[in-house]
Amino acid sequence: MKRLVWVLWPSFVVAGVAEVLFFTLIDPQELYLFGAPANFSRMAVYSFGFFGFWAICAASSLFTCFIQRSPDEVNVCMAAATCKDRVRP
Amino acid sequence: MNDAAPPPQPQAPEAIEQSLYEVRHKIHPRAVSGWFATWRWSLVWFTQLIFYGLCWVPWHGRQAVLFDLAERKFYIFGLVFWPQDVFYLAILLIVAAYSLFLFTAIGGRLFCGYACPQTVYTEIFLWIEKKIEGDRHARIKLDGEPLSARKFSRKAAKHGAWIAVALWTGFTFVGYFTPIRTLASEVTNLSLGPWETFWVFFYGFATYGNAGWMREQVCKYMCPYARFQSVMFDPDTLIVTYDAERGEPRGSRSKHDDHRSSGKGDCVDCGICVQVCPTGIDIRKGLQYECIGCSACIDACDQVMDKMNYPRGLIRYSTENAMLKKWGRKEIIGHILRPRIMIYGAILVFIVGAAAVGLASRMPLKVDVIRDRGTLAREEDHDMIENSFRLQIMNVSETPRRYTISVSGLAGIEIESDRVVDIPAATTRSVVVEVHAPAGSGKQEFNRIYFEVKAVADEKIAVREPASFIMP
Repeated sequence: MKRLVWVLWPSFVVAGVAEVLFFTLIDPQELYLFGAPANFSRMAVYSFGFFGFWAICAASSLFTCFIQRSPDEVNVCMAAATCKDRVRP
Repeated sequence: MNDAAPPPQPQAPEAIEQSLYEVRHKIHPRAVSGWFATWRWSLVWFTQLIFYGLCWVPWHGRQAVLFDLAERKFYIFGLVFWPQDVFYLAILLIVAAYSLFLFTAIGGRLFCGYACPQTVYTEIFLWIEKKIEGDRHARIKLDGEPLSARKFSRKAAKHGAWIAVALWTGFTFVGYFTPIRTLASEVTNLSLGPWETFWVFFYGFATYGNAGWMREQVCKYMCPYARFQSVMFDPDTLIVTYDAERGEPRGSRSKHDDHRSSGKGDCVDCGICVQVCPTGIDIRKGLQYECIGCSACIDACDQVMDKMNYPRGLIRYSTENAMLKKWGRKEIIGHILRPRIMIYGAILVFIVGAAAVGLASRMPLKVDVIRDRGTLAREEDHDMIENSFRLQIMNVSETPRRYTISVSGLAGIEIESDRVVDIPAATTRSVVVEVHAPAGSGKQEFNRIYFEVKAVADEKIAVREPASFIMP
């Protein structure tokens, strides 16, 4: 649960900032999707845009969480025959 | 966080699987009344009357405050903001940040305790909870009971009321981005668009989750402000403080005991300050990052002090310096005006003033000149060179206007196409302008020219934009 919050919450905040910055500068109706003008309503583009930013930011948070494990934790995981005994931080 | 993990023991890995987090114990804050609680409720009313009410206020046939995302225009009463006005958004954020610095330096987490939406909605949700399930003891008892028809009906009523408030909040929120009256008729006709529906539920769900379930965890684990608040504190910052010197050693006693003679301090150790705390901390342990400065403990302790006939203020707003140097109220107030506060205040006044001047003298017309990307220049007969441009003319005002377009910068330069354009209120129009200039009037390649767009009715509304005229 805590890890979920770590991944989803900061990415939500940063996605909000990214959304505001991006769409202040760029009008959704000027965007192209696969070479053709994106024919969606602005509300749809804003909404997809937000969740897109959120997903990208969450991927970054997830990666941070992943590489944040200490060497000891990684070694324990490698030493064990299976990974089920690893320490869950 | 991983620093707190104990060193793993590879010899016996099966022995180390354990959760390293404290289990969250549900907090049942006890209701509190008093001076600070009254202030908090006043601010709940103030902020929520604005939030729930402002979106319904009409203004010259439209919504007074509307952040129209679909049209990319923000209306705030008489002002219309365009994406080009992002400068003012930046100013607004800077003002918000400096206000936060200023108020935090003066009075600690005033924002958290009184105005933060998390506090405000938690307060509203707690009020509903208290009305339906009763105060702290009744709620603890109810939570401890096995599921019964009575418990189920109480819980269902509470969650029903919470969800109703949350959905209304979500609806209001979306009503700032899509005209709320249209939204309301769409809701009653069950014809609400998919994205509007989604965001009403999304925001409603966030409100319900944060104010009903997450509560203090948002402040403790999610809020970045809680983590860096201490940067803005100094020894003269007013914070909720327990007067340990006066209170300790704490202990229970009868009201008529002379506790001083038995060596006790003023704290009767009733624990009410802990019971009323929305984050469940004990303020007697000193300043903690979980303290949101809501002062519920001050109100609660003052009531106990009144009952015991002790002077109020065992827990009170005080500063680090005041506690050390035993200052009274006068000295504390005297130290509010210190260099840090004056600098924050001066910056704030300057930025707000500059923004106000900028807004007042804002030109209600914007022009962007874009060169025709297809052809750079075309040679016409009679040795004339033609360049075409696209003028993006934005009428930022709320009245329809007629504008004239003129060009200058080269001898004999003139506009061949229409020179007059009508633009409705708060609308952008793209006008293709063909400009002719005699072949020998400028140097080869780029020549600086100027377009001037002027309102017919008002000479003062005029914009001069540079552009490049290309000679082959």
